[in-house]
Amino acid sequence: MTIKKEQYAAFEDIVGPENISADPVILYSYAWRSGLLAGATKFTPRFEAIVLPASTLEVQAIVRLCNKFKLQFKASSTGWGIFNDTSGPGVIRLDLRRMNRILEINEKNMYAVVEPYVIGAQLQAELMKRGLNCNMCGAGSNCSALPIAAHQGIGHLSQSGSYGERNQLALEWVTPDGEIVRLGSLGSSDEWFCGDGPGPSLRGIVRGNVVPLGGLGVFTRAAAKIYHWPGPARFPIEGVSPRYAPSHIPENFSIGFYSFSSMDSLDEAQRLIGESEIALELMGFNAAMASANIATSNEEDVKLFREFSQYVQGPCIMIIMAGNSARDFEYKTKVLAQIIDRTGGKAIPRLLDDPKVAGGCLWRWLRSCASIREVFRVSGCFGGEVGQTDSFRLMADYIFKTGQVKGDLIKRGIVYNDGFSPFTQSFEHGHYGHGELLIRYMPNPGTFRVLAQEFLVQANETAIRDHFGVPGHVFGDASHDMYGPHCSNYHLWLRRIKKAFDPNGASEASHYITNKE
Amino acid sequence: MIKKAKLAEIVGIGNVIFEEPVLKEYSKDMSFAHPIKPACVLKPNNAEEVSRIVNLARETLTPLVPVSSGPPHFRGDVVPGIGGAVVVDLSDMKRIIHIDRKNRVVMFEPGVNFGELASAIAEKGLRLNMPLLPRRSKSVVGSLLEREPVLMPKYHWDISDPLACTEVIFGTGEKFRTGAAAGSGTLEEQWAAGGAQKEAAGPSASSWYRLIQGSQGTMGIVTWASARCELMPSLEEPFFVGSPHLEKILEAVHWLIRLRLVNECLILNNTNLALIMAAHGSQKYSQIKEDLPPWVLFFNIAAYDFLPEERIKGQNEDMLELAQRLGIDPVKVLSGITADGFLKVVQHPSDEPYWKLRYKGGCQDIFFLTIFDKLPDMVKTMYAAAGAAGYPGPDLGIYLQPIVQGVNCHCEFNLFYNYQDPAEATRIRDLSISATWKLLSQGAFFSRPYGECASLIMNRDAATLAALKKVKALADPLNIMNPGKLCF
Amino acid sequence: MGLADYQQDMETCCRCSACKFIPLENVRGLNNVNVCPSIARYNFHAYSGGGRLGIGVALLEKELDYSDKLLEVVYNCQMCGACDISCKYAMDMEVFEPISEIRISCVENGLTVPVFEKMMAGFRRNGRLVQPGRIQEKSWFQGFQVKDYTRQKVDVIFHAGCRISGDESLWKVAQANLALLQKVGIDIGIAGAEERCCGGRAYYLGYKTDFLKQAEHNMKQFARSGARTLVTGCAECYQAFKVLYDRFGFKGNLEVLHTTEFFARLVREGKLAPSKKINLKVTYHDPCYLGRIGEPWIHWKGKQIPGQIRLFDPPREFRRGSYGVYVPPRELLLSIPGLTLTEMDRTREYAWCCGAGGGVKEYNPQFAVWTARERLKEAETTGAEALVTACPGCEKSFHDALQGQKTALQIYDVAELIAKASL
Repeated sequence: MTIKKEQYAAFEDIVGPENISADPVILYSYAWRSGLLAGATKFTPRFEAIVLPASTLEVQAIVRLCNKFKLQFKASSTGWGIFNDTSGPGVIRLDLRRMNRILEINEKNMYAVVEPYVIGAQLQAELMKRGLNCNMCGAGSNCSALPIAAHQGIGHLSQSGSYGERNQLALEWVTPDGEIVRLGSLGSSDEWFCGDGPGPSLRGIVRGNVVPLGGLGVFTRAAAKIYHWPGPARFPIEGVSPRYAPSHIPENFSIGFYSFSSMDSLDEAQRLIGESEIALELMGFNAAMASANIATSNEEDVKLFREFSQYVQGPCIMIIMAGNSARDFEYKTKVLAQIIDRTGGKAIPRLLDDPKVAGGCLWRWLRSCASIREVFRVSGCFGGEVGQTDSFRLMADYIFKTGQVKGDLIKRGIVYNDGFSPFTQSFEHGHYGHGELLIRYMPNPGTFRVLAQEFLVQANETAIRDHFGVPGHVFGDASHDMYGPHCSNYHLWLRRIKKAFDPNGASEASHYITNKE
Repeated sequence: MIKKAKLAEIVGIGNVIFEEPVLKEYSKDMSFAHPIKPACVLKPNNAEEVSRIVNLARETLTPLVPVSSGPPHFRGDVVPGIGGAVVVDLSDMKRIIHIDRKNRVVMFEPGVNFGELASAIAEKGLRLNMPLLPRRSKSVVGSLLEREPVLMPKYHWDISDPLACTEVIFGTGEKFRTGAAAGSGTLEEQWAAGGAQKEAAGPSASSWYRLIQGSQGTMGIVTWASARCELMPSLEEPFFVGSPHLEKILEAVHWLIRLRLVNECLILNNTNLALIMAAHGSQKYSQIKEDLPPWVLFFNIAAYDFLPEERIKGQNEDMLELAQRLGIDPVKVLSGITADGFLKVVQHPSDEPYWKLRYKGGCQDIFFLTIFDKLPDMVKTMYAAAGAAGYPGPDLGIYLQPIVQGVNCHCEFNLFYNYQDPAEATRIRDLSISATWKLLSQGAFFSRPYGECASLIMNRDAATLAALKKVKALADPLNIMNPGKLCF
Repeated sequence: MGLADYQQDMETCCRCSACKFIPLENVRGLNNVNVCPSIARYNFHAYSGGGRLGIGVALLEKELDYSDKLLEVVYNCQMCGACDISCKYAMDMEVFEPISEIRISCVENGLTVPVFEKMMAGFRRNGRLVQPGRIQEKSWFQGFQVKDYTRQKVDVIFHAGCRISGDESLWKVAQANLALLQKVGIDIGIAGAEERCCGGRAYYLGYKTDFLKQAEHNMKQFARSGARTLVTGCAECYQAFKVLYDRFGFKGNLEVLHTTEFFARLVREGKLAPSKKINLKVTYHDPCYLGRIGEPWIHWKGKQIPGQIRLFDPPREFRRGSYGVYVPPRELLLSIPGLTLTEMDRTREYAWCCGAGGGVKEYNPQFAVWTARERLKEAETTGAEALVTACPGCEKSFHDALQGQKTALQIYDVAELIAKASL
């Protein structure tokens, strides 16, 4: 440990002795590696201390001390994902758990203001009571509701509820050098409704289609756009864990799961669904994700996956529709039927025939509460890659191309065989698209090496060679330096931002971009 | 000062203008910005020329003032802030580069105006989410970069919409493509792969397009932009709701947008509605205005390809149920103006003369963002300020545009005045400043500060100011890009 | 099994933090979302289920030594099992078991806590974790004509539990239970002063060897009585006899029932009919050891199948809290005329702990009180006049937490109310 006693005491003076620790027992709990790209080591590099601030001013004081002491800092909310890991000694980690309030829900002006440790489930539940809803990141409602916390902030509701980059309104930001910048109307008028201006928008500094992953200061409060919710204030959930399901599917709601004979047909279907604006959620989930969502054990998952796979003719979509009125719902239902018919979509038998099963899926995909099952139950970890957010077909093609590489890994027996069908999604009614390839595997150094090196190298080569943009999985100096020269030298501009706003390199940026020359 | 020959080498001799009358035109606009004559005006034809201009300006430390719209200008942002500046007039760059129906996006150069763009994309069944009656000479790129409010809040997901990607020559001389356009590959390669230059954010963890928007040309010069398009409806049914009670109308607006029932949705006071429609029919402004209620909400229900009649019918019925609940009365005709007629008008740029100039020849706009709850008080404040300055209340135009899917509202006060009368102009100028002060103190957020009020607006937020200066230092370290604007 | 046997389970933790919250499907708002008192109070990740698993791996990998800080983290945990249930909503892995094994390994490595050592000294001396102290001369069963099963044959054993017998304020619960059992004519017996602790809490404090000895002794005693059924009103005892004794092969064919199960059955059969009205609005607190931890043990012996997915041979069923005793107490309450039952946000398998378990009451009484007060606040938000539970440990915890609080909330055991309505 390189933190000196007097330095520790200074941090302690800010948060109180109960809210700081440098004890190995505490630190090791944070150093346990997450389930994303696991296998290299069991524990991530040790850091100096963990601090639990309760307010923006405490965060600022901690950041200023780090600058003064030439230490680095890295903040996290729920702390899931490798982005929360620190690079090594000399880093103070901030766990924002004590900053967990919903500050405002403004129903008339459709925004909510949260602190970092409000999780999506909490915000959504409060909003639903008021006939409102929010997008949450697809990783799950156990993640922060702050629109700038998650890696990208794309979620199940993005079809009608967009994603973090575009739902972000005003934001409170403790910069890496310890200033507090309140973006937009917050800085000028102490209001949360706008994150842009006066003049140019500093939202452009703090994120793109991915966030700085802890490398550009700390975001302490944010306002997010919220959306109308036509459903019940409280979903009629029944049952005991793990088999919850609603007693009935609420009026004017439906869920469908369809497969298509080709990506061309699916692409056409998602285009028409988008243009007709009928979907609340539209996700290109594959059969493996559906079986993982429904099953309450791996055994059941395997069984269901085999069953569903028989009926799947190709890539799939899951669609949830909700009507603001009976008329609206009836219209949407008719339109969907026409689109499915036109594009040759086939419903998966038995997947959603049982209203209890359908209701459970509906609720879990509305509340993003089964992502952990879908991704982690198999083995506790996954790798893969994540596209960016341009046109649907481009993103789908990228993911399907790299999916072929996964097929090879499956043949080699080093990853789980859930078919190499990746998942895609459409958002803002088809204006944008996104894709992700989940590769589940039993954590071990060998597979980790293959994924981190062989697979990602191929994925990156494909993205650059075939013009698929800068994928979401690109972070860190090496990746940016590789992509940048092919992509308008964006890496130089990103590094300039880092240097301008973090002259002392205090914000630990191993997952963003560093100040290096 | 850069030698003429060097400039001619870049843009061609016919596109380098030193003539006094022309320079005088560019030295001022219809705002109260202090007139400063540029050293010359350049009219580049393509991005390559722009890039060379910027690099030359860097070598010689020559200020550049980018302009893409034709006159009249209103904000002072294209009047040189200091002497010796070169105006880079992009209005001849009129290529519509690429229209993509499937991905609902269009790419075009800065000189393209709304009329030109609208007719080009209409052929593919697309339309742009437009501002209210832009002038004929208004550049679409210019409008997008100014974050002008647009008529269809339903399709305004983010305040930056409908801007997607841009190609920009920064003040450093470097060319950069924002968003998905960054690469890899040329635009042609990206299109061949299925790319659409649609995603505005990025690449990766920053979004430079947001820093170029709202910058009034102080970061760089945009040489093309892409913009997301919406579909042309196959059926439309517009309505008016007139009321003396703004609060009631705002409540209706909230629900119409929240339930995604309407496309176009805006509020005008009787002055503005009468002004807009006076040129489009046989009635005079005063005749129209006389019969209009103080506030008029206009909204349009639309349907597309699938079961359009059923959609229109259903949404109509839902709308009427809502109207009954809220106690409002949607009508198809108001004071002789048909909703269909108004819709046709607002789906196009303004006829000439520009609608804001028809009444008295000049117009000073005060505009800001706020939330619905605060609008009525802000309207009161403006009327009080106008009254105190001796400005006739009935002459005040008001335009309220809900934006960002109903999250907030663009509030615009139009002070129509006799531009030729120096005394009146001074009074309007003073009123504009005093009203801005009062509205600021009430919480109005002037997200787009122009002219004399810019510094008082920017200075309210020292932390943002400091951060913006850092950004400026990155994009334009030599401060050659439109110096003197905003806080730069 | 030892801690090392759970290494793969611990290493399956993906750091999702689900263990900190109630199963996400049930989140109904901003409040009452935490399910783990430990991290809710202490905030560092180490205090969560997932944090403890990471610590467990670190111990096995020799990255961490046994230390005082480790003890502090380990014993500031009520062993309520909520983290286990929340995790297993999504995952196929053990959480509660390795957390328990960490305690056992601490004790085995000589890392103990003075207050527990003192308790265990008493336990080894007289088979009780709660010493009767100065009330030795009195007994909770005074005035009852009831068989002594240590000397006589009986059909049914009623086990009061040392928490009750050692605390005069709780005697009324055992007395209510016994009176009801006698009213319905059951051939019941008690051990009276000879009753020994079930040993369950000793196990969950980490004293496995002591527990095993106690279990063996108790089962011999039960066998001598000829009883086929054991009924208890203590949730910890219930879980010990039903689950732990079964797990370690002691239980045999002994039917173990909680009094609420027993009485609910009788009410259904018409053999017990609460008839006196009690006009009271109540909410029910699910004791952890009657609910999620109390579901039957699943005997499984096998191994993980090598491969890229966690599958087992033979297929392994995980205990996910689905089969705890949730319904019978509620049925009983609803059978009382005039009583209305309203539920808290956190119920059944994701109920918030009363605060007393896992040795927290003894090790860190303030934390126990804090936890209980969180539950009382939740109860009050329902508008209930009384909080009812079915475990003496919970009742004691709530009563202690009420001290000095401005509230009219009453605390009852189900047995008290049934007795009041039936006797």
